[in-house]
Formats: sequence, structure tokens, C-alpha cells
Amino acid sequence: MDKGISIKGLVKEYPGHRQGERGHRVLNGLDLSIADNEFVCILGPSGCGKSTLLNTLSGLDNDYSGEVSFGGRPVGRNGKPPVKMGYLFQDPRLLPWLTAERNVDFVLENSDVPKARWAEIKNHYFALTGLEAFRHHYPHELSGGMAQRLSLVRALAIEPDVLFMDEPFSGLDELTARRMRVDLLDIWSRTGKTILFITHNSYEATFLADRVVVLSQGNIREEIRVEVPRPRDYDDPALFDISKQVSANFIAAAEEAERARLEQQAG
Amino acid sequence: MFVKVGSIIAAVLAWLGLSFLFPETILPGPFQTTMVLAENFANGEIFQHLFATLGRVLGGLALAMAIGIPVGVIMGVNRFAEKTLDIWVMVALTVPSLCYAIFAFIWIGLNETAAIVAIGLTSAPSIAINLWEGVKNIDTRLFKMAKVFNASRWVIIRRVLFPQVLPYIMASLRFGLGIVWKITVLVELLGRPDGVGFELFYWYQLADMQQVLAWTLLFTIVMLFIELVILQNMERKLFSWRPKVKI
Ligand SMILES: Nc1ncnc2c1ncn2[C@@H]1O[C@H](COP(=O)(O)OP(=O)(O)OP(=O)(O)O)[C@@H](O)[C@H]1O
Ligand SMILES: [Mg+2]
Repeated sequence: MDKGISIKGLVKEYPGHRQGERGHRVLNGLDLSIADNEFVCILGPSGCGKSTLLNTLSGLDNDYSGEVSFGGRPVGRNGKPPVKMGYLFQDPRLLPWLTAERNVDFVLENSDVPKARWAEIKNHYFALTGLEAFRHHYPHELSGGMAQRLSLVRALAIEPDVLFMDEPFSGLDELTARRMRVDLLDIWSRTGKTILFITHNSYEATFLADRVVVLSQGNIREEIRVEVPRPRDYDDPALFDISKQVSANFIAAAEEAERARLEQQAG
Repeated sequence: MFVKVGSIIAAVLAWLGLSFLFPETILPGPFQTTMVLAENFANGEIFQHLFATLGRVLGGLALAMAIGIPVGVIMGVNRFAEKTLDIWVMVALTVPSLCYAIFAFIWIGLNETAAIVAIGLTSAPSIAINLWEGVKNIDTRLFKMAKVFNASRWVIIRRVLFPQVLPYIMASLRFGLGIVWKITVLVELLGRPDGVGFELFYWYQLADMQQVLAWTLLFTIVMLFIELVILQNMERKLFSWRPKVKI
């Protein structure tokens, strides 16, 4: 089954707060095609619409115009993607009254993963994320990084075809984050999914992605292909060179955003 | 726990000390009061009154929750409902409980139904407000999480909304109980031929302070038992997932 994503002319506008106030156009006719099994990282200054993009693609927000399709099939009336999707939010979003393990069960119950496989899947991902000893802990008993890892377990447990990740590693210490990046690539290469990964970290983006997309002003500023063979070495100088290019684009996008903000303030 | 027991002992000692300063007809001491209470137990009539009152407390509380919870939840989740109901909840809260009792006894008659209606209507607005405030604190981001992971509307209500509302329901149950039992006693003295309120009023008319205190003591102990033993244990079981707050 094709798990690619095609986005054509995506426009998202938030209404103005007061009556008569002009709406705020966050996504401005965005076109983006993501191939089956492709790993795409999205980079852009704060407030440029990255989370908004994931919200529209995941069907959480279906008040937009433009066309979105998954593997050639358009999203349904309710905006739900016709593929199995996993989502890592910018915040962990765990159910505080359920233990770590029950939080994972909650999504498994709503998925098509047969119950016979739950134990094996949970064992696997809890071990991978180093959370084995915390299965029976409640979210408030986990550190921020552990909570974020648990939300990664939750997203992976349902074995999604498409995985949306919104700055999943930004709250982790660098050492853990490094390990998680390597593990994520490993999972991805073994299970095969299309991943859309948002980050502010240009090196992280370069290390992970087949393609880095830099957003600016609600549209694509630059696409950078990372033609470094896998498995990649985290300290590969080739990655470093590409990340410099990504970083330059990112900074330029941030400057553009700042300029636009000042212009808007001026009149 | 030690602090609690200690402060209860201190209060009883203070009562004892004060009782020496006043004549028996004004402030009987803890021993006499307990003796009177024991006699009341011995002649058995006490249970009839106690159960009559407890029945009204439970009935009134059930009615108050049945009205207050849906009104509060709807006001918490729906803007329009909040705007329309807001003023009526305030009005209902302002009307003195004595008025509800009088209206109920005149319109429905001097019977059990009227008593429960009066009790329920008096406490419903407080419960509604309690829940309304609570539901406003609900974390809507969790609904989005559940939706993304394919949960149906029913699953979301049952497994994401309900657990968030439950603490407020429990809080309003405890809080409601506190209001309801006070109103029950008042309603009883106004229009019922039995119950703790009736007994209190009866002994008050005979100016028998020993009996008045004995009934007050009995009722307080029963209510504290419900509050501290039954409800707190229930909460502890239901909300073991919450971080323990040390006070
Ligand atoms: N519900 C909303 N109503 C109105 N405006 C919104 C809403 N959500 C987001 N916005 C606006 O849309 C813009 C993009 O928000 P979004 O959350 O997509 O940014 P982002 O790129 O994810 O930023 P960050 O990197 O800080 O997470 C922001 O200017 C924000 O103010
Ligand atoms: Mg964001």
C-alpha cells in the first residue's frame, strides 16, 4: 500500500479575534509531496505554521482549503487520513489517570493491532526507550523526557503507516536525544513508514531526513535533499556540511518572519 | 492522624472546662451529654429518627446531584448554555433555603416528597456551580490526542471526559453533603414529625439542653463518619493516580 502524502495548495487561515479584524493566514498555498516511506523533516521559525500543518494533515483541523491525499486517496469528509497514523505531540499528552502501560493500551484498544501481539509490542518498545521499569508508573511520576519517550512508545505501538512528530526530542537531554534519533531511524528502516518530523534543530533534521523542508511565511522556502547513505554516522562531516546549508536557510526564514512582523506592526 | 486525634481531645477538654463555668441547664458537660446519648440509644427510639434523617439526606443529595451535575457539566462545555443558565443558577443560589422549604410544603404538602424536593432544590445550585468551574479546567488537548488515535466519540466521553469530571463530581458530593444535612435538619423542624431536626426542635421547646446537645453530638459523629471514613476512602481509591500533596 502506498503511504505517500500529497498536499496541494493548502491554505489555512485563523479568523481574527475581533469582528472585522483580518484573519491570520498561516499556511499560504503550500504544495508538498512526500513519497512512500520517505522521512521528511520540517524546519521553520516559531509560529510559521508547523504544528498547524500537522493538525490539518492529521484531520484534527479540517477547516482549510486545498487538497490532501494519502497514497492517492483523498481524506474523508471528517478530514481523517485513510491510513493508520501515529502522532507525537509537542507536549506528551498522556492520560494522567492511567499508568504508562495503560496509556499504551488505550491507543492499542482503538487500533486494529490484534490483542495477541500487544504484549510483544509493548515489551519491545518499552525496552527500546528504557522505560521497562516504569510501566506501572503514572505520568506524574515520570520526568519530562520519560513522558516524551512514553508518548513515542504510544505512537509506535499501533504500528502506524504515517507518523507525525512535532518536536519530539526537544525536551530531552542531548545524550538521550541522540540515542532516540538512532533508534527512530532503526525502527523506521525496519518497519517502513512515512515520517513527517518537525524540529528546530538543523543538525537533527539533517541527520534524520531524506529531505529537509524549510518553511517561511506559510510556504516552502527551500527543500534540501540529504544524499548521505544510510545507516548514517552521527558525526559524519558530510552531514555537517549539509546541516550548515539547512541552518543558513533556517536563519534566513527567521529573519524574513521578523521583518514581516515589523512591517505589519508599522502599518 | 495524631494531630487530628489530639485536636479532638483538646476540643472535648475545652468543652469540659467550659461546662464547669455554666449551669447544667445551659451547657452540660461531655460526660452528661454522652450519658443522655447512651440512654437514648438504650430506649431505641433514636434509630427511627436517625434513619429518617439519613434517608432524607441521601434522597435530597441524590436529587441535588441529579440536577446539579448535568446543569454544571453542560454549562462548562457549552458557551450558550453557560450564558443562558448563569443567571438562573445565581437566582436559585440566592433564594434562602427556608423559602424552598416553605414553598415545597405548601405546594406539595407536608410529606416526604416535599422534604426531599426542598432539600434537593436548595443544594442543587451549589453543586452546579462546583461542577461548572471544574469542567472549565478540563484539558481539551487530551480529546485531540484521543481523536488522532482513532477513539470513537463514546470512547472519548467515557475514557477521556469522564475521568476528568469525576474528581469534581466527588468534590461536589462531599461539598453537597455538607450543605444537605444542614438543610435537612431545618426542613424537619419545619414540616416533619420525626428525624433529628424534629427532635432538636422538640427538646429546644422543652429547654432541655442535655438532649439538644446529645442529638447534636450524635448527628455530628454520624456525618463525620460518612465524610471522613466513607467518602475519603472512596476518593483515595478512585484517585490513586494523582500526585500526593503533602499538607
Ligand atoms: N487556534 C488558533 N487560533 C488562532 N491562531 C492560531 C491558533 N493556533 C495557532 N495559531 C497561530 O498560527 C501560527 C502558527 O502556529 P503553529 O502552532 O502552527 O506554529 P509552529 O510553527 O508550530 O510554532 P512552534 O515552533 O513555536 O511550535 C501562529 O502565529 C499562531 O499564533
Ligand atoms: Mg508547534
